[in-house]
Amino acid sequence: MTEHAVVHANPAFEAFKAIANMLADPRASFLGAVGGLILMLRFRRYVFNWYVGAFVLIVEAVVILAGMMDPNFKLIIGKPDNVPITIMLFLSTITLWLAMTQAVNNERRAEQKLPPEEKETSNQKTWVWPDLLYIEFIALILCTVALILWAVYLRAPLEEPANPSATPNPSKAPWYFLGLQEMLVYYDPWYAGVVLPLIIIMGLMAIPYIDTNPKGNGYYSFAERKFSVSMFLFGYLALWVFMIITGTFLRGPGWNFFGPFEYWDPHKVVALNNVNVSDYVWVVLFPKLGDLTGIAWFKQGLPPVQNVVPALIPPDMASIRAFGHELFMAWKREFAGIIFIGLYFLAGPWVMGKTFLKSYFKSLDFGRYSLLAFLVLTMGTLPLKMVCRWLFDLKYFIDTPWIKF
Amino acid sequence: MLGKLKNSVMDSQVKKSIFRVGIPNTDRKRVLIVLGNVFLHLHPTKVRTSGVKLRYTWCAGGLSFFLFLVLTLTGVLLMFYYRPTVEGAYVDMLDIRSQVPFGIMRELHRWSAHAMVIMVMIHMFRVFMTGSYKPPREFNWVIGVILLVLTFLLSFTGYLLPWDQLAIWAITVGSNMAKAHPFVGAAGPFADFLQIGGVPLVHPGDDARFMLIGAKELGGTTLLRFYVLHCVAIPLGAAVLMAIHFWRIRKDGGISGPL
Amino acid sequence: MAANETKTQQTLSPREQAIRQLKVKGYLDQDGKPMGRRQFMVSLALAWATFAAALGGLVTILSAFIIPRVDFTRIESFKVGAPGNFPSKTVNEDFKSSGKFWIVNDGQKIFALSVVCTHLGCTPNWMSNESKFKCPCHGSGFTMQGKNFEGPAPTWLRRYEVSLADDGQIVVNKGRLFFEEKGEFEDPRSYIAV
Repeated sequence: MTEHAVVHANPAFEAFKAIANMLADPRASFLGAVGGLILMLRFRRYVFNWYVGAFVLIVEAVVILAGMMDPNFKLIIGKPDNVPITIMLFLSTITLWLAMTQAVNNERRAEQKLPPEEKETSNQKTWVWPDLLYIEFIALILCTVALILWAVYLRAPLEEPANPSATPNPSKAPWYFLGLQEMLVYYDPWYAGVVLPLIIIMGLMAIPYIDTNPKGNGYYSFAERKFSVSMFLFGYLALWVFMIITGTFLRGPGWNFFGPFEYWDPHKVVALNNVNVSDYVWVVLFPKLGDLTGIAWFKQGLPPVQNVVPALIPPDMASIRAFGHELFMAWKREFAGIIFIGLYFLAGPWVMGKTFLKSYFKSLDFGRYSLLAFLVLTMGTLPLKMVCRWLFDLKYFIDTPWIKF
Repeated sequence: MLGKLKNSVMDSQVKKSIFRVGIPNTDRKRVLIVLGNVFLHLHPTKVRTSGVKLRYTWCAGGLSFFLFLVLTLTGVLLMFYYRPTVEGAYVDMLDIRSQVPFGIMRELHRWSAHAMVIMVMIHMFRVFMTGSYKPPREFNWVIGVILLVLTFLLSFTGYLLPWDQLAIWAITVGSNMAKAHPFVGAAGPFADFLQIGGVPLVHPGDDARFMLIGAKELGGTTLLRFYVLHCVAIPLGAAVLMAIHFWRIRKDGGISGPL
Repeated sequence: MAANETKTQQTLSPREQAIRQLKVKGYLDQDGKPMGRRQFMVSLALAWATFAAALGGLVTILSAFIIPRVDFTRIESFKVGAPGNFPSKTVNEDFKSSGKFWIVNDGQKIFALSVVCTHLGCTPNWMSNESKFKCPCHGSGFTMQGKNFEGPAPTWLRRYEVSLADDGQIVVNKGRLFFEEKGEFEDPRSYIAV
């Protein structure tokens, strides 16, 4: 490592690496990605033209190629199983650019009272033989050539034989699940690993039934369906693609964050002492209130909650009563988090219906609107917890022995 | 002489029995050639001109299907050498690398798998951005979402088969999520509420994870289960759904376009 | 009477014969009226209920098929040595790979700590410099006692049953786990007092 560092001790390159490491920090990069997405959509008319597109692609390529001079960066990017993520990065950029450029073009045409560009030829028909088949044929040949070249130049990874007692450090899920693995840092497995994926799948399936906007059917558009496209881009780019890239390139030993040019030090120590909402309330806030008001009740400290399992079959009243008591204690201890999450999911739909979901609130029936609001709010739980973790070291909103959120 | 040979081939009964239509130099023949071929008749005979354009579809759906076919072919070839046992799996990996001609079969399979996952994601992105899930194509979008999930599951089950460190730890993490299911996973919320007279109904010996890996810990049973899922169960399910997916494209009015 | 009946059968018109047939099969009641709507609905519901029950049973049987009755994971016990071999405030890693447990002496108790992270089942590493167990998968950290003090792990590390054999050696029984969240760490079978 040191030898390489001496060779490349170019001050400009070192400064570039330091800045890149700083920007890669999840707080900076996630907020940057979300902010970038918003700005990009806001100024879409100036962003989605061929020269900005080309510029972004060139910057991506230059950063990656220049980065390859750094041994730590090369180690991560050059890993055979990470190559698909680099490919995905470029393909996401290109496809986003392709889609949005045509959407912006159609938007301009609409202002001139012209139909979408696709409409010009959508009533004409083309022969499948030979016009479509010839495109497909070329695509298949190019795809086959690319696959064979890829397979010749890169060996499929094969690590040491399975050893159940030595976990490699770091140990990662397949790349397309790294977004979910990233969620596991913030939420418990039952939520991040089971409930959330199910809601994502169900939510995706529900899209055609809750997006009742008839416009934008069969052509690229943004202005006519701002909300649905923005939500999808946020979920797809910020919460899926971005998280995969973070999880692959920036998560190192001990699942700690490492900048792209940082050495993966297995002994890096990062304090992960996270605190629950109930801790803030009972340990920090209430004692102060007790001092101010002189009421002793505020100074009782964190109420204890035991894990009691009620025996339901056959019913054992003693254990059910004990469970009831612990349930009450849990409500008491976690009341602040429960109120917060309750308000989030119950008042959230109403607040959104008065603000940015106004048109959906009016046009959708109760069931569909509730579903839409629930899906949007559930998606929101991810950035919510992430931001709370970064700002307040928050561990759980609600922490009971039975369920943690 | 050559002309005679050409005529005798072109006019032979054998040739005519295989290629019914002949050179498609008229519109009628162009229709017949697509209709008369079991593979080509996945297509209609004519498509919307706007839908044929590369910048509209990016070929993402077609390439996803093509990659599925590549994976089927390379997968079947790999099955000739691979034994799904704890003792055999890793050794066979090494053999497929060094003892088999054309030693990049595994590479082709793995990179095609990665490419297919990316392509399916991009296909979904394209379909969303063109609003093609809107009526009358709502149900085909639902089928597409299931196919996306099956693609992930196919790739995930295949991840275990090399039986190396990468494989077992990725699957350890993945399969432990099954343990976290509410009610049906032994470590999930409320699982210990399900008991009769103190005897738990959901425990590590019968919960969702046990069902998935066939034992309490990752081992030979897991490898066999994932092998069967990867090579038979999920591909069959995906093939059936793909048939529905393609059929519905035709029945819902062909490739989407402005109304 | 019998003769009379056979005679009438012969003289019945085709229509009357058909009605008679339907009566025999139960489609018409004795008065020759068809089955009432209510009776029809009941029969239909019964038929479908039977079909649904059979289908449910079949699905249950098929799902049960994939849960084997026997789990061939061996339950082992290990003799790990006399308590004196485990000095105070140390973590012994000798059985990490063979038995999947650490022997920890925290100064008051000696116990066998399971190497399975309570988050998603990876194997944490003992970092003696920082005096903690650190899981490589999602960064959960555990104290020497196994308390989940950092990262996403929801509970303490599990402990195995320990006892003293006749020859004074500690025996670790992997068939019995102790859970902190169930208050089982006070159970005398879960530790050996120093």
